[in-house]
Amino acid sequence: MHTAPTTLSRRRLLGTTAMGLSSVALSSLMAESRSHFPAKAKRVIWLFMHGGPSHVDLFDPKPELIRHAGKLLPESYGTVETRRKVAQNPLLAPVKLFRKHGQSGIEISDFLPHMAGIADEMCVIRSCHGDSVNHPQSVYQMNTGSIQMGKPSLGSWVSYGLGSENADMPAFVVLPDPGGGLKGGPPAWGSGFLPATYQGTTMRAGDNPILHLQSPQSSARQRATLDLIQQMNAQHQAKREADSELDARIRAYELAFRMQSAAPEAVDISRETEATKHLYGIDDPTTKEFGTRCLLARRMIERGVRFVQLYSGDTNGWDAHENVMKNHTEYCARTDKPVAGLIRDLKQRGLLEDTLVIWGGEFGRMPMSEKGVGRDHNPWGYTTVLFGAGVKHGHVHGATDDFGLRASEDKVHIHDLHATILHLLGLDHDRLTFRLNGLDQKLTGVEECHVVKNILA
Amino acid sequence: MNARIHRRGAEGQRSRVFSKTILCLSAPLPLCGKIFGTKHALFSIGFSLLLCLSNARAVAIHVSADPVKDEPKITEKDREHWAFKPLQTTPGKTSIDDFIAPQPHADPATLIRRVTFDLTGLPPTPEEVSAFILHPSSFESVVDQLLASPRYGEHWAQWWLDLARFAETDGYEYDAERNRAWQYRDWVINALNNDLPFDEFVQKQIAGDLMGDETGTGFLFACPDMPDLNNQNERRHVLLNDITTTVGSVGLGLTVGCAQCHDHPYDPISQADFYRLRAFFDNTVLPKERKPLGPSARVFIEGVPASTVFVRGDFKRPGATIQPSFPRLFGETPPNSDRATLAKWIASKDNAIFLRTMANRLWQQHFGQPLAAIPGDLGHQGEAPTNPALLDWLAAELPRQKWSLKKLHKVIVMSKHYQQVALPRKRLTGEMLRDAMLSVSGQLNLKTGGPGVKLPLPKEISDTLLKKQHEVNPDATEHNRRSIHTFARRNLRHPLFELFDRPDAQMSCARRNESTTAPQALMLLNSEFAHTITAKLAADLNATHGSDATALITDATLLCLSRQPTKQEVEAGQKFLQKQTALAPDFQAALADYCLALLNSNEFVYVD
Repeated sequence: MHTAPTTLSRRRLLGTTAMGLSSVALSSLMAESRSHFPAKAKRVIWLFMHGGPSHVDLFDPKPELIRHAGKLLPESYGTVETRRKVAQNPLLAPVKLFRKHGQSGIEISDFLPHMAGIADEMCVIRSCHGDSVNHPQSVYQMNTGSIQMGKPSLGSWVSYGLGSENADMPAFVVLPDPGGGLKGGPPAWGSGFLPATYQGTTMRAGDNPILHLQSPQSSARQRATLDLIQQMNAQHQAKREADSELDARIRAYELAFRMQSAAPEAVDISRETEATKHLYGIDDPTTKEFGTRCLLARRMIERGVRFVQLYSGDTNGWDAHENVMKNHTEYCARTDKPVAGLIRDLKQRGLLEDTLVIWGGEFGRMPMSEKGVGRDHNPWGYTTVLFGAGVKHGHVHGATDDFGLRASEDKVHIHDLHATILHLLGLDHDRLTFRLNGLDQKLTGVEECHVVKNILA
Repeated sequence: MNARIHRRGAEGQRSRVFSKTILCLSAPLPLCGKIFGTKHALFSIGFSLLLCLSNARAVAIHVSADPVKDEPKITEKDREHWAFKPLQTTPGKTSIDDFIAPQPHADPATLIRRVTFDLTGLPPTPEEVSAFILHPSSFESVVDQLLASPRYGEHWAQWWLDLARFAETDGYEYDAERNRAWQYRDWVINALNNDLPFDEFVQKQIAGDLMGDETGTGFLFACPDMPDLNNQNERRHVLLNDITTTVGSVGLGLTVGCAQCHDHPYDPISQADFYRLRAFFDNTVLPKERKPLGPSARVFIEGVPASTVFVRGDFKRPGATIQPSFPRLFGETPPNSDRATLAKWIASKDNAIFLRTMANRLWQQHFGQPLAAIPGDLGHQGEAPTNPALLDWLAAELPRQKWSLKKLHKVIVMSKHYQQVALPRKRLTGEMLRDAMLSVSGQLNLKTGGPGVKLPLPKEISDTLLKKQHEVNPDATEHNRRSIHTFARRNLRHPLFELFDRPDAQMSCARRNESTTAPQALMLLNSEFAHTITAKLAADLNATHGSDATALITDATLLCLSRQPTKQEVEAGQKFLQKQTALAPDFQAALADYCLALLNSNEFVYVD
């Protein structure tokens, strides 16, 4: 029941840069056929578990890790680059039991009883890997492909490539954790060298979902002021030669006015049924916060938002250096039911068919212990889970080594993951480019990378 | 090519979503190392990588295991590119108007608004407008006064700070504050206000510590930094490559940074050239874990690693040792050259590309568009100037005017070309918008200098920061100081600045984007800031003119738009005030709405 695509793209209405006018004109001509080839996924919900959830305690069972618990990593594994010098620490067995679930028999730990119930919807990639042991660099890389600050994020590339399906809403919406403190900050959803119009718009639950969305005045009074502005603008323009920049600004004011009613409607969950709220855990204090944002994510995509990103975890989040059991008990309790509820709700509404849902963090965690019961960062091998449009269901792809230290089979670098996500959206990562300094920049950078064909449905 | 090549929004118009297969060279340095070191071990042996470009040209990139041994020679053909040639002189031409046919003259109200915003970043007062309309022949003395005003340096400093990727925090995870970074900003403001000769201005930012004035070298260390990076060799490598890239782009107008992993694919700058240029700076960076940089340069004697090239730009793969040298394209480097030699060579009257680069940027700031469309790249991938003779004349004018930037501004604004009726409109930057709104409401605090002021932020924004990152200056009068004096946090630009395309201080920015978006409209229509401004404006106007609608509309228009309202506008305004008083709590609130409309109008935001 999502809003039908309109010919007035967000880029046409919202996004005109002084220098980008010709591209705006171009995009409006091409609004009907933006993608490079037919897309399986029309939109994306990205559940970002900030801090780095532990794959070896959640999705990647390692019997050898149980057998070798308390011992050192065998020397054959070579030097391990770590953040907190844990390479020489004893191995720590998974802190929760794993069980097979669903018809697919995918193994998931007891940390995630609700998500275990949707095992047959999952495409579990156990062989993800990235390039930095540090949070901000890895948050940037997972979002932008680059470990440096300041590159355009995946969401901004997608909104640049595809635009929004709703002229009254942004194409790329971010729902940050209310605890704040994302490592690396807002550049994680920035537009880098792409025009600012493609950056993520942060939205919140409640009365004021977008910054300065609420007029301090009554609608009639504001409309009268806006009419005066537009009258002034019309006179101003009449005295000057035709100018698409001035014209764009006039249209931006009308869009702003419409957003003032469209955005609050999008975040108003008062008319959702009790059954739906229960499905997301909104009736339980532990899951209420994340459940509400998961429900908002569904409402956003129903309204044509192209790309929604949710963060779970404040500045520490899933970063279980001290104690995996304690940390993951808390964060799984907050998110497990809402995530499962979201997938079930999307499915029952027929939205899962053309919506891609991503679950994962900026990296996983080390098989070695830290401070006895904690784990350090591990970008060398970890799990990302996909659901929905265009990917196999009840499927496991790739593997880490016997201890879950490094991706070892069918490895999926972050660039491969990005290329695959773009592919599902009908975009060729080699052709989605932006010219900077005489060269066409792209999300996946210079080195060779590949769409992970084996996970495509 | 490196991630820190400066950004160039101006190229948006050339972007193509649907262009053919293109490989790009955007991998940042440490990543290059990772990729070519481990992910694709094959790449570590020397070979050529073919790049397919959108225009179907193919360029071979030389990836060498020994960048010094495999360095290509500079040929005569290499030096034929327009920007590498000596400045061309055009006999008989002595002013801008000799190069461009003058157009009809702008009216005095337009002109005074244009030149005041242009030189000081602020609108003229109604008194200044009236005085100039009475005596339009006083233009030259108006210009002299504007250039002599401290507001001049405060405004033009931001132009330079964009180039310097200046912010007062580290960026990355902790985004720690740099307590003395403001000293560099004040140094820039004061240098501009004192009309420090421009060659010296640039030289002191590269090697001021060797010239008895170290503060300017804050330029080098204004970059992002990650003090807690677990490998300090990597940190040092990234910093030095950033410094080299920035000096190359700001001082030479070339994307020198493209040559850190391989020879430059388009310009005759080898990878070894890059690391030889970097070698001038190698003894200034010796980071200690978790210790901040700067604030200014010093020379380390002990513990400085030998200067080498780095194979594939990978800090783990130092190659042959090298000596500090200028890029070979520009000729021989004198023996025993140090950073001061480099600084004096870059900013010298004989360095044509430096002069062209600066003249091009100056033209852009005055006219909204540069003469050569890509101000950060005058190399082969840049664009040739639309008027090469004019660019070269203006470039030569800089040393001819004894390196006085103020004299050069004057040469430009006194031209008939500048004073013509139809110049490209310029949109106010976010910083200018804020300053202008404070100024027209009589609230701008003109205190100069000192540590950056931390403005109040909307709660939704401050909640996303780490603890202690959202402290606000307790003295509310400080909140009304000019934008240049507000604290520049790298990870969080003030929403007003960010929405209006302030660059993110990740890399040198030679030309800002100009986006037009609905969130900008929401900010100017709904923010507490906008409503505080209009309430003050309305209260002041009301106190002066009571309910005399004609006088109120006239004064408000003069204040905000620097001109008299037309008869039609007065009538429309009267009608609005009458109707709006019924919708608003009282007449003064309706008047505030009228002012809000003026401040949101295109005429306020765009300067003709």
